[in-house]
Amino acid sequence: MRIVRAAVAGSLESSDALVKVAPNDELEVDIQSTVMGQYGDAITTVVNETLEKLGVTEGFVSVDDKGALDFAIRARVQGAVFRGSDEQPDWSRL
Amino acid sequence: MDAAPALSVVSVAHDPDDLVPVRALLAEQGLGLDDDVELFVTAHRGDDLVGCMGLAGNVVKCSAISDDERGFGLSARLMQEVTYQALDRGRSHLFVYTKPTNRRVFESLGFTFLAEVPGTLVLLENTPFGLARTCRQLRRHDYVPATRVGVAVLNANPFTRGHEYLVRTAAQNVDVLHVWVVSEDASMFSADERFELVRAGCAAVPEGDRIRVRRGTDYTVSRATFPSYFLGDEAEIVRGAAGLDLQLFREHLGPAIGATDRFVGTEPLSPITNLYNQEMHHWLEESASASPTIRVHEIERVAVGDAPVSASRVRALFAAGRLDELDALVPPTTLAYLRARAHTGQTSPTPSVKK
Repeated sequence: MRIVRAAVAGSLESSDALVKVAPNDELEVDIQSTVMGQYGDAITTVVNETLEKLGVTEGFVSVDDKGALDFAIRARVQGAVFRGSDEQPDWSRL
Repeated sequence: MDAAPALSVVSVAHDPDDLVPVRALLAEQGLGLDDDVELFVTAHRGDDLVGCMGLAGNVVKCSAISDDERGFGLSARLMQEVTYQALDRGRSHLFVYTKPTNRRVFESLGFTFLAEVPGTLVLLENTPFGLARTCRQLRRHDYVPATRVGVAVLNANPFTRGHEYLVRTAAQNVDVLHVWVVSEDASMFSADERFELVRAGCAAVPEGDRIRVRRGTDYTVSRATFPSYFLGDEAEIVRGAAGLDLQLFREHLGPAIGATDRFVGTEPLSPITNLYNQEMHHWLEESASASPTIRVHEIERVAVGDAPVSASRVRALFAAGRLDELDALVPPTTLAYLRARAHTGQTSPTPSVKK
């Protein structure tokens, strides 16, 4: 999916994550988390896998995690990408 | 503490009554209410206002939380709502100017540090990619390999003989001159008009082939849109705005295009501009930095008759319809535009799209 506009999903409340996306000509991902030390690798994996399944190959993606569980992070990344794109997601891949 | 405070949105233009408690809460925290705030997200516990956060253009400002509500994540909820409100208005790129002691709070709200004037203020933006991306674009599109690379930042409201003299003199002293036109719409002439007039005016001078005109980036901090509600006197405000602007230039924007020299006009009548120019010497030439020194050149203001050419004089004559007297003050490119605009009867500020 191609990100064509800036979009946001999620919140900064505890156990949630705020995901922001914006158009860019290459993929750049930034991840901040209150539990980066404990779960940084797992969070990074979830974010990258989700983007890959969505077919996002370019864009800015920033994730501000406040201790969200992996399914919440996945949902927030998906939500932000859907809002930032004009394409229909390929649900069967998700 | 029981249930979380309820959030609502207050439009500054439409709900003046709701601003009374907002003003009181800000005052309690030693803050004022800036004129350009468009909306507040407010938090109430029962009837009591316990928190507020304002949005003005792409700047988040005038935030306050009452003492006994701190430490419960209210600022995160306010910021989230402000972020969504801004996005609804097409603004995804937000900035915060705040006291240095609040830096960590805003970093925990997803903001990235940009610059600090120690003891006075810090500037942050709500993306980790913003400044790096702008510098990359500058390097890609505007970098020209040369020994001496000059930069002049102009508001040019509108482009006068004074600006023409400044860019010509500057261009004669360097191999390539970048002219950046401030993008904000706080002027009689819109950003688009000002940019076009600078572009046309620079193309017409003999040194035109070594001048590159572009719009200023989001990282040009100007005093006109600079939030000052938490700062002291005019001098501190100027030093704050200048300190941020000049550090961003010295550390990031300037190196992206290999800038070696910066040109600025003198303003014999304005102590503010003189203060700004002093700050320029300090931040670009004297202060310790990992980035190379950028030499500052103050170019003497040209005069017509016994008064210096100034854009404000041009605007006054234009508004009064005295176009015949503008001949000496503006170059032919600007004059032709002013004639055309006067012809359509449009001497008041042009409406333009706010970013």
